[in-house]
Amino acid sequence: MIAIALRNLKHRPGGFIATFVSAFLGAALLMAFASLMDTGDSESLTTTATVGGGWCLVIVAFAVTSTLSLSVRQRADQVALLRSAGATGPQLRRMIVGEAAAIAVLASAAAVPVGWVLGRVLLSLLKDTGQVDAGVGYQFGAIALGTGFGVTLLGAVAAAWATARRTAGNAGGKPERPRLRRIGAVLFLLAGANCSILTATVMDGKGVDAMQTAGQAGIWAAIGLALLAPELLRMVTAVVGPVVRALGGVAGELAVTGVHSRSRQLAGAVMPVVLFTGVATGTVYMQGIEDRAAEGQIQPEYAQDIQTLNYVVVGMIALFVAVMLVNTLIAATARRRREFAQHRLAGATRGQLLAMVSLEVVLVAITGVLGGSVAALFTIVPFGSARAGHLWPDASPWQYAVIVTLAVLLTAAATVQTTRRTLRGPATAAIRA
Amino acid sequence: MNDAVRVESLYKTYDNGVTALDGVSAAFASGTFTAVMGPSGSGKSTLLQCAAGLDEPTAGRVFIGGTELTATKDTARTKFRRGRVGFVFQDYNLLPSLTVEQNVLLPLRLAGKRRKDPKAILGRLGLGDRTHELPERLSGGQRQRVAVARALVTEPAVIFADEPTGALDMRSAREVLTLLRAVVHEFGRTVVMVTHDPVAAAHADSVLFLADGRLAGSLARPTAEAVAERLAHLGDLTTRIAA
Ligand SMILES: Nc1ncnc2c1ncn2[C@@H]1O[C@H](COP(=O)(O)OP(=O)(O)OP(=O)(O)O)[C@@H](O)[C@H]1O
Ligand SMILES: [Mg+2]
Repeated sequence: MIAIALRNLKHRPGGFIATFVSAFLGAALLMAFASLMDTGDSESLTTTATVGGGWCLVIVAFAVTSTLSLSVRQRADQVALLRSAGATGPQLRRMIVGEAAAIAVLASAAAVPVGWVLGRVLLSLLKDTGQVDAGVGYQFGAIALGTGFGVTLLGAVAAAWATARRTAGNAGGKPERPRLRRIGAVLFLLAGANCSILTATVMDGKGVDAMQTAGQAGIWAAIGLALLAPELLRMVTAVVGPVVRALGGVAGELAVTGVHSRSRQLAGAVMPVVLFTGVATGTVYMQGIEDRAAEGQIQPEYAQDIQTLNYVVVGMIALFVAVMLVNTLIAATARRRREFAQHRLAGATRGQLLAMVSLEVVLVAITGVLGGSVAALFTIVPFGSARAGHLWPDASPWQYAVIVTLAVLLTAAATVQTTRRTLRGPATAAIRA
Repeated sequence: MNDAVRVESLYKTYDNGVTALDGVSAAFASGTFTAVMGPSGSGKSTLLQCAAGLDEPTAGRVFIGGTELTATKDTARTKFRRGRVGFVFQDYNLLPSLTVEQNVLLPLRLAGKRRKDPKAILGRLGLGDRTHELPERLSGGQRQRVAVARALVTEPAVIFADEPTGALDMRSAREVLTLLRAVVHEFGRTVVMVTHDPVAAAHADSVLFLADGRLAGSLARPTAEAVAERLAHLGDLTTRIAA
């Protein structure tokens, strides 16, 4: 079975790219932050490593887990084939977990040089702002490697194991357990709400320290809402669907029907949009509130640290989530080759399919932006209350507009471009493969 | 009698260099049921797909009801095809996310035509009580009947069927074949069907034989025995050529 796993990797590398990319970028980020712990144990270094690394850890673990389960689920047909050829559940599980482990190790190894460079950049940033002594030499050692390899491998193997239990567990292949997912979502949302309340109560008056809990609140909430993506998508479709149907003609009708029957697959596309919008909006506005609140106040000296840090961390995380968004959408769309071909054989033109996909993008983007915006409120509202004394930030909405536009553009570009590419060549070739 | 489908010197060479069609010319008269037979790899599927406008021949011309299909670009060809040509595949190719009724009506909706009630046709195919089922809940024979209904819904001049009974048991196969015969003899449509089964071919009005991408004769009023015998010869022939 391990042999089959390795053969799969060599034979169909395309199916594993999505997982590889998210594991690779995730490991690089983790290594960068962890390498600061290798470098020294001054307070600035440790704060940067734990704060930045902590946020990354959560997001990276979630990203790796969700891309991996997406790719395993989309290979359900291959699993079913092996099963009918006599492979037992445990054998299939070994195959899926073996693949995941191999990808995680390869991705982490490839991430070492990138993590090393990023870590150096972080350190020089800390030196430039005078938070770390200019004489400190950069070290990339056991902690960086251990965290990078360890988290990626652990995340991948755990996700593969859990998904494999569902995909390969029983012959019927009843792949979803919505109850478990919903319970997880509620737990994450509760954790988020808890951090929000802490921010507004315990951290009120603690100044810049409130950023810690407020930032976490948004991330937990974003993950919770991302897990609820199928439900959110159905809700949005129920409301917006009639409009899409009325304006979009056949393409609109197909898009709406598609959402109902494929809400789980499309939810995979909603998740990264929620994360991107949530994390970016939450942190940018939190920093805005902080900057205004700090004007003319006497600050603890590490306020400066945290501000630089916040922008760097937000930048890195936003970039990571953006790449993950594009990555997930490309993978999810490319796998619809057969479905698109079947539509074409039934008489759909390329134009009609592009229209259908674009309307799906509208539904996905609305859902994702909505979820992300709600998640961002978990950060902004309590932080505003704690730091500025009012719930609604008196900040301009243009940053939010930029973030939303970016999310929509990335979603649309990745999906439509991939669809266009997938529609090349005759439809008959696509159903043979 | 006018021709529903006419192909003139069709050539098809795939990207990998395989020549699947090597100069095929044939005409299928309106209101006839023709079976296309030949050894595996002789180019039957390629011929059907090129004739139906699903694929482009490397050279040669295809006419459907007197209109040249090969002169048009992809989108125009799709629009033309979905009104005039029906296609039935061995593996059905129904959309798994659409119900039986939605699948059957799909070509009409894509063509922007008024929907009609598919009850009559589905009822006739014995699927009247399954209209809101998803394809995955149907047997192979039932799925193939849905596929035939879908191919008929736009009232096309010609229906191509590539091994429509290849995945079916004898009884389901006979049902589908009877259906195709009725399509021709009751509704006056034209059917071109690829099959490997001499018994299936015997349902047709005539049989066209294909070997190595070329025509290798025809047979009118086929019986299963006569077809089997011709096929055996064809087999000998191709083995000899290959040797
Ligand atoms: N997409 C393709 N790319 C490359 N070669 C192809 C492709 N499709 C078919 N061929 C080749 O063209 C030849 C004819 O194939 P075709 O599918 O038309 O045969 P067929 O008569 O339908 O065979 P069968 O009875 O097995 O279905 C074969 O040699 C096949 O390998
Ligand atoms: Mg064939």
